[in-house]
Amino acid sequence: MPTASHHIRLALFVLAGLACLAATLVLLGQRQNLFGSSLAVQADFRNVSGLLTGNNVRLAGITVGTVKEINILNDSTVRVMMHLNRDVQPYVRKNAVASVGTDGLVGNTIVNLTAVAAPAPLIAEGDVLRTTTPPAIDEMLATLSISNKNLVGITEDLHQITGKLNDSRALWQLLGDQKVAANVRQTLRHAASATATLQASANDIGHLTRGIRQGRGPAGYLLTDKEFAKQLRHTTRQLARSSDTLAGTLGSLQQQVQSGNGPLHTLLTDTAMSGQLRQTLGHVEQGTDGFNQNMEALKHNFLLRGYFRKQAKRKAKAAAQ
Amino acid sequence: MPPVLPTPPCCPLISPATPMPASTFFTEFRAMTGFTGRFFREGFRPRYEWLELLNQCYAIGYQSLPLVGITSFIMGLVLTLRLRPTMVQFGATSWIPVMVGLTIIQELGPIITGLMVAGKVGSSIGAELGSMRVSEQIDAMEVSGTNPFKYLVVTRILAATLMVPILTLLADAVGLGACYLGINLQGVTSVALFTNNILGRLTFGEVLPAVVKTFFFGFAIGLIGCYKGYHASKGTQGVGVAANSAVVLSSLMIFLLDLVAVGVSTAFGLI
Amino acid sequence: MESTVPPAPAAALPTPAPAAEVVLTVAGISKSFGDNHVLKDFSLTLRRGENVVVLGKSGSGKSVLIKCIIGLLKPDAGTITVLGQPVATLSHVALDALRAKVGFLFQSNALYDSMTVRENLLFPLRRHWLADHQGQEDQLVLQALDDVGLPQTIDQLPAELSGGQRKRIALARTLIVPPEIILYDEPTTGLDPVTAREIDQLIRHVQQKYHASSLIISHDMSCVRLTSDRVILLSEGRSYAEGTYAELLASTDPIVHAFFE
Repeated sequence: MPTASHHIRLALFVLAGLACLAATLVLLGQRQNLFGSSLAVQADFRNVSGLLTGNNVRLAGITVGTVKEINILNDSTVRVMMHLNRDVQPYVRKNAVASVGTDGLVGNTIVNLTAVAAPAPLIAEGDVLRTTTPPAIDEMLATLSISNKNLVGITEDLHQITGKLNDSRALWQLLGDQKVAANVRQTLRHAASATATLQASANDIGHLTRGIRQGRGPAGYLLTDKEFAKQLRHTTRQLARSSDTLAGTLGSLQQQVQSGNGPLHTLLTDTAMSGQLRQTLGHVEQGTDGFNQNMEALKHNFLLRGYFRKQAKRKAKAAAQ
Repeated sequence: MPPVLPTPPCCPLISPATPMPASTFFTEFRAMTGFTGRFFREGFRPRYEWLELLNQCYAIGYQSLPLVGITSFIMGLVLTLRLRPTMVQFGATSWIPVMVGLTIIQELGPIITGLMVAGKVGSSIGAELGSMRVSEQIDAMEVSGTNPFKYLVVTRILAATLMVPILTLLADAVGLGACYLGINLQGVTSVALFTNNILGRLTFGEVLPAVVKTFFFGFAIGLIGCYKGYHASKGTQGVGVAANSAVVLSSLMIFLLDLVAVGVSTAFGLI
Repeated sequence: MESTVPPAPAAALPTPAPAAEVVLTVAGISKSFGDNHVLKDFSLTLRRGENVVVLGKSGSGKSVLIKCIIGLLKPDAGTITVLGQPVATLSHVALDALRAKVGFLFQSNALYDSMTVRENLLFPLRRHWLADHQGQEDQLVLQALDDVGLPQTIDQLPAELSGGQRKRIALARTLIVPPEIILYDEPTTGLDPVTAREIDQLIRHVQQKYHASSLIISHDMSCVRLTSDRVILLSEGRSYAEGTYAELLASTDPIVHAFFE
């Protein structure tokens, strides 16, 4: 029954098992920085969104450490203690900003360290880092929804303005200069069509936010519905184009009316009509400002960020050529 | 014919097929607790049966490896292939290693190993000790100057407690290997990416409880098998009942322990 | 309650000299399992070199008696003294030391199924003698197998042997650590008459060779006749009658007589 070969086999079997365990522990330990020397730093957050000890800390997308401890300091502050690898010390400065994020749309919670383009000494043991809180998905959706409401308001304003300008017979009669009149009419037509497009876009975005709210969450929605992605791209493109057109239209209108020459200018400067027209134009200007702000807000929206980035790249490319 | 050997009054025979009344359950529970206590009292005092312990480790651990290896290989492969279509829909095929890896390391590996060992080893311990009890071999051992509890029971419980974790670790490795194979059947991934994918998501808090609980699985298998066999009643039927109820009870116990393990891990904030 | 045995006929088997040393005393033991009173105030003595047969019906507590003697069961009352030592109060170590001097042949042989004949024989040898006889182990195993006439089975498993062979191997295992007292639990039960007679002769042979005392539990009258120096009839938990085979055979007591028909 008991033979030496049995015992050798048993020993190999046990060693193989222990090797598996050791390999796992060593690999995990390396990743979690258990065995290397480390640098402890802290950061205070308002909300750590389910961060756990052992989660990764990343600098420029590279894992440089792990979360060691999470303590609640008071009702609005959570102190997170992180261990960073010693060898990244030369790359992290005291003014780096920590934020809690996720690894992809559905991944682990992680801490991101972001370098700030300002001189600062290198990070040292025990430093407390500044933090920012990236908007949560709910907040993003809220922003998107507000942007959309603004967009609807603006398009209505624009619609009224162009309507007023168009209906103002006195203005057209006074505009003796045929060429100028034609120009103005054309720009107004552009503006009108831009407004229509904008309205459609607003509808699309409304549909988008509603869909996300009711649906399977943004991740599922984006991952599964290819049609939706296409639609989103289209909507943003329309928005951008409308914005460009409007800016152009208003620019030329203003130029023609305000710095114009001939009888138009004279008439406009001292009649009641002129006052009214100025006011209208003022409104239009405000409207475009607001619109531009909204566009800016949309650009920061996480869902549309990618699109705008691409757009910017394309522009940069075009400019370079 | 021989006089009726006394069944120890504290441990009545229970057939797993018949529902047991509550009172029987509690007597059984008390008897088993006493048996456990005896293990701890006698197990850690000399003399130690090292050679028999090694033999039992060989029988329980090494000889269960093919069975456990094949089952966990199949589970790893099947899980991967089944999961793939769903993950493709979500565009998340890169998550397959993590999902299968986590499932295998945390649950499937320990549970499958536990169940297979309960089936193979639990029944054989129950039947072996049962027949040794019935054919007076246990008495013969005692007469031969050997404490049969130490020689038979302590060695088997210790061997099961030590071998099930090792079997589980190897089963995990085989299961993950099968997962890697499964992924490469329909796609391509490198070993480095695969391990990084899995390890990147794992923490000690997830791995260690899964390893620790397997010690308890092994202990339960050994303890229940030995208890049932050691207290088998006279006759060949008693041996059958001992083997059967050892498997049934230890399989059930594995699931209960798994539930407890989840509870404990949660309580310690590891999940 | 002992009945008076009628005077023995002249042709009784030779009994050892009464002066021989007493190796085993059972004094007034009782043992019950629940309401089943198996032994009630039972007593016996065994002298050196003597073969005593305890005769009784099935379930009359014979096996319980020898399990009490070897310390596998504890009597409820009474004392058992083996080789001058009280069994019930011995420590584990002392009990093991005592058991090395007492052989026990189980009714079911109790050979270890998972071990070969050699390992079966080595088991008590190694347990009782520990490191002492390292070099002689093989020699002792072969000698014990020779004693029972089965040297060729040394590497076989018990399952490969016949019932009679198994009984002989079990006896060899009992003898390998030379015992001063041998307890036989129904040595011929379940064997064919021819094999049973062989075993009976073996018991006699062992008695002569080892000068051991034997306590034999049996209800096989041929066995009783061939192996006994003295017979004790166990009935209803008590020692009912005692005497040589011939004395009991001549008894007119109906209970005694019933066994000899």
